[in-house]
Amino acid sequence: MSRRAFAALVRKDLLLELRGSEVVLAMVAFVLAAFVLFRFGLGGGRPAGGTRAATGMLWVAIVFTAMLGLLRTFAQEREHGIWDGLLAAPIDRALLWLARACSTCLFLIAVQVVALPAFWLFFLQEGPAPDYGVLVAAVVLADIGIAALGSLVAGLASAGRAREVLLPVLFLPFAIPLVLGAVSATTGTISPQTSGLHTVERLGYLALYDTVFVLFGWGLFEFVVED
Amino acid sequence: MNTTAAARLDRATFAALVAAVLMPVALGLIFFYVPNDVDQGFSQRIFYFHVPIAMTTYALFGWGALNAARYLWTGDMQLDLRSYVPMHLGVIFGTLTLVTGSIWAKVSWGTWWYWGSTELNTFLIIFLFYCAYFMLRFSVEPGERRARYSAVYALLGVGLIPISVLAVHLGQDVIHPITFTDHGANMDGSMLFTFLMSLAAMLSLAVAMYLVELRGKRLDDQVARLRRLAQGTP
Amino acid sequence: MPSPSEVVACDGLVRRFGERAALAGVDLRLAAGEFVLVTGPNGAGKTTLLRVLATVLRPTEGTVAVGGHELPRAAMAARPLIGYVAHGPLTYPGLTALENLSLYAALYGVPAEWIDPVLERVGLGARRRDPVAEFSRGMSQRLALARAVLHRPSLLLLDEPTAGLDSGGRDVLREVLAEPGRTVIVSTHEPDWFEGLATGAVRIEAGRVAA
Repeated sequence: MSRRAFAALVRKDLLLELRGSEVVLAMVAFVLAAFVLFRFGLGGGRPAGGTRAATGMLWVAIVFTAMLGLLRTFAQEREHGIWDGLLAAPIDRALLWLARACSTCLFLIAVQVVALPAFWLFFLQEGPAPDYGVLVAAVVLADIGIAALGSLVAGLASAGRAREVLLPVLFLPFAIPLVLGAVSATTGTISPQTSGLHTVERLGYLALYDTVFVLFGWGLFEFVVED
Repeated sequence: MNTTAAARLDRATFAALVAAVLMPVALGLIFFYVPNDVDQGFSQRIFYFHVPIAMTTYALFGWGALNAARYLWTGDMQLDLRSYVPMHLGVIFGTLTLVTGSIWAKVSWGTWWYWGSTELNTFLIIFLFYCAYFMLRFSVEPGERRARYSAVYALLGVGLIPISVLAVHLGQDVIHPITFTDHGANMDGSMLFTFLMSLAAMLSLAVAMYLVELRGKRLDDQVARLRRLAQGTP
Repeated sequence: MPSPSEVVACDGLVRRFGERAALAGVDLRLAAGEFVLVTGPNGAGKTTLLRVLATVLRPTEGTVAVGGHELPRAAMAARPLIGYVAHGPLTYPGLTALENLSLYAALYGVPAEWIDPVLERVGLGARRRDPVAEFSRGMSQRLALARAVLHRPSLLLLDEPTAGLDSGGRDVLREVLAEPGRTVIVSTHEPDWFEGLATGAVRIEAGRVAA
């Protein structure tokens, strides 16, 4: 029964996004504009620091893009007063968080399907090709972390007086270790000789980050949804 | 109520007295008793401030997070206060940690901030997190919901600390290429004694501040309740 | 102690929002089959009372039980028994009537076959595949009613159900409310309209039941 409820909640988010497309397109436009900004801001040439600096920019851009999407998390429920309907239903409230985190993760992946090739085109064309399997794994693991934590923090921020300001403030401290892990993992896929760490360790760190915040999200969300 | 308030006052006074005795003793030990560090000389003495303050900060955050968890479990608003007050003090001690750490970095490495130090970087992330806690706390209306949200965010910090430690270690090669070698790890007897005295002084100061502030906040709450009663609303 | 024969049992129910007490000690007991009107001025706490009974808000103090299940501890067991019509329609404007009810059918774990009869019942059968954003206020209200009775609850909570309802919608509402076997609590500003249905009335003022 709860699996059906979960599927229905995710399907609802995807349907609304397909019809209204208010989040994914905006995120794509934002991330592409951010790449162009970085490219021009750094003055045409290959960024100093090479692959390392480039992947750093990639993840900073992705985190800010994700924040743009997170601002719209639960926006429909809030604006149209639908929370009471969901809260009155006989489901575990953590399921509402899990479904929302899943759809956010799917949106992020959709954005990256466009953003990552664009990034390669802008910054890494001349360099060596990455290990695609590891790259995809790193990106998906980082997305899960952003979505799991972001959906919880978006719920916290929505109670504040200035939600749009509060969400980045609450989210960014958590983004620092995530960006560190993601940069380390993606740099490793493009130029493995930069460090002695194994790929498994880097991906393992991201997986650990996901596990911790999925557990926190699952356990704490019910305290966030009530008035 | 009167007896517990009186007992609280006694405990707060007692803690303040302990801090008032330990503080000068620790200062005396740091400046006049402990010998100069072999490598770093006189300036290494800031270690006896920096590390105990950092440890006190962590202890305050730990106490705050523990009470946050207890609040979510029981819903007792007193625990919300006992969670908020140590967080509040933790940010003050945290600022001191960053300042002393920065001074230490300047005297040992010649730079105000050393990006190769895992301790400093981890602490910076956690400090930012607790500043965000305050933003959340101040932007939500007082009451049960603010207590719940603060507690949830405080608990998230418990997840963030080990994750950040790991991330900073993992990211050593991406933050800064130079490896950081730990020193001060092998302390002789007089150094350890001075260090422990300083730690005890900082902790007792924190406890005294905690008890005094808690008492102040409780009085605020009682005033608010009396005002509500006077206006005839429950 | 809540007894199973009482569908609703509130004792000293207090609900605070921050410093403000929206409910300041409400005692209310309803037996199965009762139809109670809740009246009172705006801001008296009618909506808060219904939201607590709908398990959306936790009580701050006092005890509340619905169908013998104490809230919030046993809220999970109480929720399938409760149908709730709120101020807003509680539906997604971007989804069709059918999609909205499919979502709620999944959340309540009831078969999808229950949806069509309910939509017919409120006269929205022909519009089931239209997005709710295109609905008039009256049609949204009918859909809200359909949503509330979809899982066949035994307790119906309605918050100002007649507000903005067209005359056809009012007929539908009256028919649905006249169906036997349900306990009903309605908060309303037009108690006269419910004459013949209601078996009792409660007046709430400043968060308390007025004598």
